[in-house]
Amino acid sequence: MHSSRNWARRFAVRGVFWRQYLDWATLNMPFYTYPVLHFFMTFFFFFFAAPARRIVLAHLAIILPGSSRAMNYLRVFRTFHNYSWTISEAAIHKLNKEEFAYEIIGPDWLDQLGAARGAIVLTAHMGNYDLGAALFAEKFHREIRVVRAPEPDQQTAQHVSASLEKSGEGAVKVDYNTAGALLSFDLLNALRRGEIVSLQGDLVAGDVAAIRARIFGKEVRLPNGPFVLAQVSQAPIYPLFIARSGYRSYQIIVREPITVLRTGRDREGDIAQAVEKWCQVLEQLLAERWDQWFAFAPGFLFDEQNR
Amino acid sequence: MNKIVNRSPQFYFSLLRFIAMLRGGDARRAESNAVEATLVGLLTYLIHYLFFATQVIPAGVAPWLGALLLILLAFWVWLFWLLLFYINSVIIKLLRRCGLFPAIPTRRAQSILWGVVTTAMACALHMSDAWVHELGAIWLVAVAMNLAAAILLALRSDSQIPT
Repeated sequence: MHSSRNWARRFAVRGVFWRQYLDWATLNMPFYTYPVLHFFMTFFFFFFAAPARRIVLAHLAIILPGSSRAMNYLRVFRTFHNYSWTISEAAIHKLNKEEFAYEIIGPDWLDQLGAARGAIVLTAHMGNYDLGAALFAEKFHREIRVVRAPEPDQQTAQHVSASLEKSGEGAVKVDYNTAGALLSFDLLNALRRGEIVSLQGDLVAGDVAAIRARIFGKEVRLPNGPFVLAQVSQAPIYPLFIARSGYRSYQIIVREPITVLRTGRDREGDIAQAVEKWCQVLEQLLAERWDQWFAFAPGFLFDEQNR
Repeated sequence: MNKIVNRSPQFYFSLLRFIAMLRGGDARRAESNAVEATLVGLLTYLIHYLFFATQVIPAGVAPWLGALLLILLAFWVWLFWLLLFYINSVIIKLLRRCGLFPAIPTRRAQSILWGVVTTAMACALHMSDAWVHELGAIWLVAVAMNLAAAILLALRSDSQIPT
């Protein structure tokens, strides 16, 4: 009974079957079949991934205030469709080593980051964040530690980690963000050794410490960890996003680094200032590229857990 | 990944590569052209869809039932594609065990088999009485021109173009 349930879990929306199928499809399907297949796969998941659909719908309602619910359903479809292209292009990069084009927005900050001795890359579930880590490692010949939200399925987590490490050709190391303190110390040591750590700053996964913030005039939860880590290590935070700009084409968007002060008296006030700057960056990006915000799990809005 | 540079478009199919070469462009094979992917993908889907529509939907069916069947057919063609990819992958494995096409990437071998199946369907459409026979003819002419272009590209001994 237990093993049959485990077997069935492989086929759940976030089960490993779909990841493995994507890899198989990348190796087997001619590139010109992708537009049609992506459309139908999007249609399939639009109906079967109901929790993710509801969460994206709720996010759209605050990003685009006053938008109609019917139009937002179409926007959810567009977001899912973009996600379908994004993960398939990440698989193409990993398995077929095809050429991708990119342009950098904020090249000076990216160069600064490439040369930094210890820095935090703060990103969101936006665009091809997995491909971004591999690209960074390739461009600057530096190792990067990527901290991801845990996958609900263990086999999926193993598959995603292996994919990321393969894309990064050994220069990308994946950790999973859990409530334990061990990872925090590990990351702090990595920063002190001068390494680069990439964290996601838009969703609070599970019991991870959260901080209240305001985005689009709405109170939301954001992970506290990146800011505490930056304060303790005194490493700068570089907001960085990888947005899809067209067929096999990406934009690397780097924004001005955020420094978390350590004035001594008001630790929380210092963190709050940095969080506010991050919120401004995130708000601007989400307003421009809401169709690439792949926040399919709860952890942003306060009432999401009940959806 | 490569930084964006302004360069001439590249194509996958020999006919378009040959035209690009005549225009002084880049004739190397690439899978990077979105317009080519979308056009060929939609045309292929249309041929498969119309093939099944002419085979499955009986003449004189009630309009509401016809509309329902046409909607269901759109999803059936998708499922048929997924099945066909699997069957093709088994055929490719068997061919490789026999020592055939060892150097061709799997997705390119799939593309060849895909072309064979679609051309067979286009032939059937072309032989039918319905208006769709024009579409079948367009596909057949395009395939013939593509094959001719592939031969011409292969015969250009002075070029370094991989065909």
